[in-house]
Amino acid sequence: MESKIMKPVLAVYVGLFILFLYGPFIVLGIISFQQGPEGGPQFPIIEWSTYWYRHLFGMVPPSRIAPLPVGDALIRSLTLAFMTMVTATVLGVMAAQAFRKHFRGASVVFYLIVLGMMVPGVLTGLGISLLSNNVIGIDRNWWSTAFVAHVVYTFPFAFLVMLAILNRFDASVEEASWSLGVSPITTFRKVTFPLIFPGVLSAMLFAFTLSFDEFPRTLFASGRDQTLPLAIYGTFSVEIHPNIFAFGVLTTLFSFALLAVYGILMALSVRRAKRMAMQEDIA
Amino acid sequence: MSAPSTNRQKSHSFQLLAPGVVWMILFLVAPIMMIVYVSFWTQTTFAINPTLTLDSWRNFFSSDAYVGALWTTIRLWLIVLTLTFLIGYPAALFVGLLVKSKTVATVLLVLCVIPFWTSFLIRVLAWRPMLGREGAINILLQKAGLIDSPIEVLLFSELSVIIGMTQIYVVFMVGPIAFMLGRIDRNIIEAARDLGAGFGRIFWKIIFPLSLPGVVVGAIFVSVMVLGEFATSGALSGRKVNLLGNIIVTQVGTLKWAMASVAGVVLTILLGIVVAGFLRIVDLKREI
Repeated sequence: MESKIMKPVLAVYVGLFILFLYGPFIVLGIISFQQGPEGGPQFPIIEWSTYWYRHLFGMVPPSRIAPLPVGDALIRSLTLAFMTMVTATVLGVMAAQAFRKHFRGASVVFYLIVLGMMVPGVLTGLGISLLSNNVIGIDRNWWSTAFVAHVVYTFPFAFLVMLAILNRFDASVEEASWSLGVSPITTFRKVTFPLIFPGVLSAMLFAFTLSFDEFPRTLFASGRDQTLPLAIYGTFSVEIHPNIFAFGVLTTLFSFALLAVYGILMALSVRRAKRMAMQEDIA
Repeated sequence: MSAPSTNRQKSHSFQLLAPGVVWMILFLVAPIMMIVYVSFWTQTTFAINPTLTLDSWRNFFSSDAYVGALWTTIRLWLIVLTLTFLIGYPAALFVGLLVKSKTVATVLLVLCVIPFWTSFLIRVLAWRPMLGREGAINILLQKAGLIDSPIEVLLFSELSVIIGMTQIYVVFMVGPIAFMLGRIDRNIIEAARDLGAGFGRIFWKIIFPLSLPGVVVGAIFVSVMVLGEFATSGALSGRKVNLLGNIIVTQVGTLKWAMASVAGVVLTILLGIVVAGFLRIVDLKREI
């Protein structure tokens, strides 16, 4: 009886809750169309314009507001995210594969890996910069120290995703392949890998997006050359302009594009799996 | 199974695990050990040397600014944790339990996750035009005639940090709770209802206890992230709110590695206590 009142009330509440989640996002989108270069990052909108988008690409006459230093930073971030994605996914698949058999110390290893996503970035970053700066005495760089920190963070995600996939995996197909004399490596390539591919894709998506947006670890562990989040952080201390919001809108669209690619690859692999199953039925 | 093949399998899984384990030991365990070690090093103005001393520890606990940062961290963590729970639980209740169709529930969860595809830092920055003197909230409230002059404390205060953090982290509370609520066997609730239990009684006797593991997981997520924060407090408080994370950043910025390490160790201990405390409430291994 009471839940009959409860449900509509909570439905309205969830609507408000989603508005709360999206509020800043909506404001960000609106202000990115603020008039420039005089219009600041606040209301009201003086006049709607795409000035700040053109400003990002250097398509407006120079003004007192310097363009965001994002060009090189973007390339660095994409490279770093790609390196991290490959390494974290390979490590994640290997570790999850090992966890299919019981071994002594499994829970210790499990917690060791999961620790990587639980330890706050500020601590991992501080530790790695201490180690490289004061002990080994090497320079910190986005492609070295920041890279290892990114893998520490994303490898656990890839591992957990793969573990979830492999838990539901039917091992009898592998056994069939082995019993037919196919070597374990070929079996993995031809039988196991195609079956776990959707999981691998998800692990890659996780690792890429987490690394691309990673900030605290990078702040400590990368050197002079900035990645994208560091370039954005650099604008915190000085006055902010709507160009940062225009940039936010563009990076969000880029993320959606990435998500779309993931969705397409996923759909393709599901369809291929279905087709193969059908061929088997016919045979 | 014959002995040689078992051995081969053992070495096989060892080879699979070794790279990941070595990576974590070298780049996670060793760095954290390093923080503990360096916190006892001797700090001079611009350099640091490995002569062991307790100076940095003494300085930390005799300074009002540093001890204050510790208390601010704990206070903000408690406030944000409570708010994410209070705001997140009803939403999770709706998504996980009251929505009958799985599709609607999935759509709602995806809607909650979409904002995460905007850069974390830009999401934080977006609160500035929202909360400022001439921000969206003040304008809306003034238009509605609820206030005469803009509310000043909204931005660059502890309140703005709390609002920003709650919005960013509340989803990490909703997810695990909704997941646990979704696993509740509806027949139990039906049975209780048939026996004449009201919604309040069903909630406190059945729903809430069964969702507790989700609450604990969500609380651990939120706590770990809030305790290690420094960007939100830096961007939305105008340097008025200093957390342990902010101390670490400023100390490293001025090459005071030993002091940064002390703050790091204090943060690690705090985190350890909090996570261990939550794990005592619920035995996660048994529940999941």
